[in-house]
Amino acid sequence: MSVTLNDYLLVSVLMFVVGFFGVLMRRNTLIVYMCLELMLVAATLALVAFSRYNQTMDGNVFVFFILTVAAAEVAVGLAIIVALFRRRHTVQLDELNALKN
Amino acid sequence: MNLDLLQAAAAKNAWGAILPELLLGLLALFLLILEILLPKKRHGAIPAIAILGQIAILVGTLVNLRSGYLGTETFGGLLQHDMHGQFMRVFFLLTSILVSILGVPSLAKQQVPRVEFFHIVIVVTGAMMLLVQSHHFVMLFVALETVTIGFYILVSYFRSNPLSLEAGLKYLVMGALSSSLLLFGIVFLYGVVGNPELSLPGAASTAMDFTSIRQFLEAHPDNFLAKVGIVLVLAGIAFKIGAVPFQIWIPDVYQGAPTPVTALLAVGSKAAGFAVLLALTGVFAPYRTLVVPVLSVMAGATILFGNLAALTQYNVKRLIGLSGVSHAGYLLVGVVAAYHDPMAVGAVYFYLLVYLIASFAVFGVMTYVCGENDADQELEHYADLAKANPFLAVVLAIGLGSLAGIPPLAGFIGKLLVFVAAFHAGLYVLLGIAIVGVVISIYYYFGWIKAAVFPFWSGRRTAEGVSQACPRLQVGLLFKLVLGGLTIATVILGVYQGGLIPWLAAR
Repeated sequence: MSVTLNDYLLVSVLMFVVGFFGVLMRRNTLIVYMCLELMLVAATLALVAFSRYNQTMDGNVFVFFILTVAAAEVAVGLAIIVALFRRRHTVQLDELNALKN
Repeated sequence: MNLDLLQAAAAKNAWGAILPELLLGLLALFLLILEILLPKKRHGAIPAIAILGQIAILVGTLVNLRSGYLGTETFGGLLQHDMHGQFMRVFFLLTSILVSILGVPSLAKQQVPRVEFFHIVIVVTGAMMLLVQSHHFVMLFVALETVTIGFYILVSYFRSNPLSLEAGLKYLVMGALSSSLLLFGIVFLYGVVGNPELSLPGAASTAMDFTSIRQFLEAHPDNFLAKVGIVLVLAGIAFKIGAVPFQIWIPDVYQGAPTPVTALLAVGSKAAGFAVLLALTGVFAPYRTLVVPVLSVMAGATILFGNLAALTQYNVKRLIGLSGVSHAGYLLVGVVAAYHDPMAVGAVYFYLLVYLIASFAVFGVMTYVCGENDADQELEHYADLAKANPFLAVVLAIGLGSLAGIPPLAGFIGKLLVFVAAFHAGLYVLLGIAIVGVVISIYYYFGWIKAAVFPFWSGRRTAEGVSQACPRLQVGLLFKLVLGGLTIATVILGVYQGGLIPWLAAR
């Protein structure tokens, strides 16, 4: 049994869905952050699978851009989380609700 | 790949085509170098240099408005230059100049580094200019992420203030989520367009180019994966413009972000999102039967939600954020109309321009009225504005009147053009919702004007829990000139548009 494009896409969509609902449901900032990265990785996996199937290099090149963007996002995101932890001593989203009506 | 091929590709790059963006990048780096080189007591000159540099680039862009690159694709099809792009370049430069001017008094109230603020604003502006000219999904994604990551930093810029950091975290989570949706949509489109069994001959190698995607969509008007991709891309952009159901981040982030950044989010980020949506109307036009209902439902829900939620707000930053949601709704009506009638594109651009002018008048007043805690700006703080500073009260009243769409101010003409375009396109239901929305919006805009002009007005909330009326800075002469200019522009554009409307509609 060989692994086909559809198998890759299935895994990718599953990862994306897990990440998406993780972002919406988990309450710990760091886990939410991991879920965001999971979504990007899911997109990357689908991209590589499509690129291989389509026999074009665009997808593979795009992956480098996505990785760079993800790295920049992590750098800024972790800085914000650390700064927030220093002020509020928590990373639980439930407790970070000072902004409201 | 051999070296000659790379050299040939590099020689074809037309760097002149992106000269304004390159100059912005150099200016941003120059500011950082200046911070190292200049002695500490001279650092006050850096904001002035940033503003003057941007004005010089704006003048250069205006002089070069009809540049030789119009109508061409550069960088191997990554960018396409046309008059829309030129208009948006001028628009974003105006935005960033005004944000930098607002930044000076706002940063003066805080203990934070100064130079990086101007640096990031300029970088974000350059990225937005590239974003609206992109003609390829890789370019679009990278430019959009540069903008978004810049905004993460800017929103949490007042890092000693937990509210600013909290807004930054919320924007980070929501922004990254929307970027992932957009990215997944792009991947699906790439997957189907490049599929060797479906694709048109020769198109497989350029599967992320807008032209190829359009040709593919025309040839395959009912492809399931392409539909999923289109909906995901639209969802990703809807997050950026704050359309329902992706508007949840707007009030919190607008409240927590520093006021100049709120202005940049409200005007620049939203305009970038709409320019991309307008650029994509051409690409997604073959799937009109899918895109138009999705955008129409979004537009109607956005107008109603924005206006109804704004009714109950007492914090002016949340108020302006939610009213901005409703403006996104009116603009979406224009985008839907653009799928039927290309003339509507001009109406959307004109609306964005008057929105810029009126918003910055209001944000300018907000910058002065707010105290040290940037997130704490209640309607009560405006209680004696008319007595304490009649000039600011007039600017505020005219800016808000224009946002509400009161004739004869510019906002009225902007709304009128969008509504006429919607009428021509036959969008009667949306038109009705939009008019109801405008009527509702007059209530809260006038509540704000009333708070500023009538000193005896007191809100339903008691004064306790709201900080004391903040000490106000003296308004500098230059700042007065800028605010006065914006106000006069609002009034003049309301009664006389000159050749602007035909010019915008002609392209």
